Amino acid sequence: MNAALELIGVTKRFGDFTAVNDLTFSLAPGKILGFLGPNGAGKTTSVRMMLSILQPDTGSIRILGHDARKVRERVGYLPEERGLYKRMRADAAIAYIGTLKGMKRPDAFARARKLLDDFGLGAFARVRIEGLSKGMAQKVQLLAAEVHDPEFLILDEPFSGLDPVNQMELETFIRSLAARGKTILFSTHTMQHAERLSNRLVVMVKGGKQFEGTLEEARALLPHRARIGADRALAFLANVAGVAKIVPPNEGQPLWEIELKEGADGRALLAAVFEAGAELSHFDVAPPSLQEIFVSLVERANR
Amino acid sequence: MNRTYLIARQEFIKYITRRGFFISLLVFPLWIVLAVFVPRWMAGTLPERAFTIVDRAGGYEAVLRETLDRNLARRQLQALSDYAYAQADMKAFKRVHPDLTAMLFKPDSETSLKQFRAGGGVKPVLAALAPYRKPAAPPFTAPPPRFVAVAAPAPLREASPATFDAVAGDYLNGDRHQDLAPRWHKLSAIVLIPKDFGAGSATARFLSSSNGNADLVDSLQQALTSALRLQAARKLVPNDTAGAESLDVSADVETNDPTRSSDKRQAMAQTVADYLPVALAFLLFIVSMMNASVLLQGVIEEKSTRMIEVLLSCAAPRQILIGKLVGVIAVSLVTILAWGLMLLMLALFAGHDAIAMVTSAISAVLGVSLLPLILVYFLCQILIYGAIFLAIGSMAASLADAQALLGPAMLFLILPNLLIGGILQDPSGDVARYVSWIPIYTPFLMLVRLPSHPPAIELAATAVFSVATTAAMIWMVGRIFERNVLTTERPPTFGALLRRAVGR
Repeated sequence: MNAALELIGVTKRFGDFTAVNDLTFSLAPGKILGFLGPNGAGKTTSVRMMLSILQPDTGSIRILGHDARKVRERVGYLPEERGLYKRMRADAAIAYIGTLKGMKRPDAFARARKLLDDFGLGAFARVRIEGLSKGMAQKVQLLAAEVHDPEFLILDEPFSGLDPVNQMELETFIRSLAARGKTILFSTHTMQHAERLSNRLVVMVKGGKQFEGTLEEARALLPHRARIGADRALAFLANVAGVAKIVPPNEGQPLWEIELKEGADGRALLAAVFEAGAELSHFDVAPPSLQEIFVSLVERANR
Repeated sequence: MNRTYLIARQEFIKYITRRGFFISLLVFPLWIVLAVFVPRWMAGTLPERAFTIVDRAGGYEAVLRETLDRNLARRQLQALSDYAYAQADMKAFKRVHPDLTAMLFKPDSETSLKQFRAGGGVKPVLAALAPYRKPAAPPFTAPPPRFVAVAAPAPLREASPATFDAVAGDYLNGDRHQDLAPRWHKLSAIVLIPKDFGAGSATARFLSSSNGNADLVDSLQQALTSALRLQAARKLVPNDTAGAESLDVSADVETNDPTRSSDKRQAMAQTVADYLPVALAFLLFIVSMMNASVLLQGVIEEKSTRMIEVLLSCAAPRQILIGKLVGVIAVSLVTILAWGLMLLMLALFAGHDAIAMVTSAISAVLGVSLLPLILVYFLCQILIYGAIFLAIGSMAASLADAQALLGPAMLFLILPNLLIGGILQDPSGDVARYVSWIPIYTPFLMLVRLPSHPPAIELAATAVFSVATTAAMIWMVGRIFERNVLTTERPPTFGALLRRAVGR
């Protein structure tokens, strides 16, 4: 099946500054892509090009198999800030975007009210956006992006400003959208969301793509880490086969961190600890977190 | 639904539901009311002021008094004419008193003034009008004299040149008033005609303790000038020569337009139709400045909340730009319509025979052959102002940025207003014709010049030029809008702006 999103060699310059450099990646229909990168990495410029708000200097972008300008009505967009008119009522704000996306006005209002009801905001349908809490306004914004039932959704920092409960609700909603066959690209600085939601990840640094792949593929970029708590110092583990690096605990912290070489597991470590007669209080071996992978990628690109 | 229409509709609703919109709707009629009634009220409450003439040359005091009497009679005749046409059945009155009707129809003319004074002033005219007054007509209140000439007190008359100013000062600041009539506590002004006035370099002096006597100074200067001319003419003609008395004449210049109706109401309607374009030009400026600045703030707000990105993900930049401009046009038209209705209601409230007058004025306006042209100029100017403000809004990341850009822009935008005085005086002159071809000023200045009936070729050419300028402005601003509306960087330099506007 054709990719829902396909960028090939996309470059965008503003004067002498190259905001996005030769970006290529794709996303299959019905998948969720976490679009990651530090501030200034070129994510927003890339998103704007995907939305055809900006045009690339070179390269091509196809959404749902077409030029982005031709499928505006099939794409939904949630900007990072509250992209709503403060004095509009919640249902009118959602319906307005629906009409701009091609819906008939009565249909847009009916759908807006249904979405608000479904999200427990039915009582706030006639409240102005400026009268809603930040979390509510964010939900209304999300519903405005979804009101016209788009096949492709671009969500820029959708979790920004939400409390943990609302973040979990939003995660559930995004999964439900994907379950209905919608393709979703979202950007975030919170790696836990990306870890939990993404089928694929793209990490950008300084305008260029540093990684594209699944979470598993990302985890393969860094070695596993063991964390060990014991009643004595564990510096002797540096001599164990398969250990790349040992990081002693900071003051007040109980756990030693041992970075393993590729292919090594924790059994040799465990054996060495017991051989030394140490009493264990904690032992785990885990793949690197996305946070660690992200930081590593950014540091590598900045070197 | 068409996205441009949807954006225009949203912009329209956004602006007309703002509290500020309703306030601005109310402020303008309030301003008109204040502009009309405050001067009248102030004139009605101004105290009469006393002045005196120390005529050491002889013969001038009578001339000055005559001038003041004449000025007062002119004001009274004007007030009487306004009163008669508002509060009496003039058609019936005309059948019985055709001469008085003619006099009241043209209160500005010298003939009418002579007739009024010769007939005994206000009282006889009021008596003639009495049977024809409308049932609820209020009584007529004649304007009081602003200045009363009192006899010069002896100390002033007898003061030597060395002591005159000191004595005059005592009367002007009220230290000495015992020898004035009891109602006067001081003199507001003193006119000194020196002994050798008119003979050489001696000049009349006007001594006053306040600044509010400009009209008195003007009247006295005119009267003295007339008197000097008359004296000079009389020296050329011996007094016993037949017709020597006829040297004291004044020209009766009647401003007349042969195309005008002799019916006062129709004449008023024609005047309304004539000055509609000028009024529209000024209203246009006020409305444009009001609404275009809201447009500018709206764009900055959309940039800061990234609503503009949502719009751009739904519609092309030019659809957004044109939608916003159409929205502003609609708001401007509604504003002007609302003001018109409010002014009509005010006129009705004021008790004048407004409905018939306004009806005939509207029919005259609708019959104006230039109405399509007026609309073209009007719409072009709103679009030009709106486009300029949109360009500024799209370049500014904050209101502070916008204000920095607005300063120089406003200097350009208000320039035609500074030229209005000269253009109204000579609407067909070289200056008026040349500046009418400065692109962004054309619609505004042509509206101002329309009552002077510029040549058809000039009207057609400037209309085409206005449309072309407007289209070019929208095209260039479209480029600026598209390029800048997403940026939060500093506004471009003027050179960079021009390059972007023309696409290089």
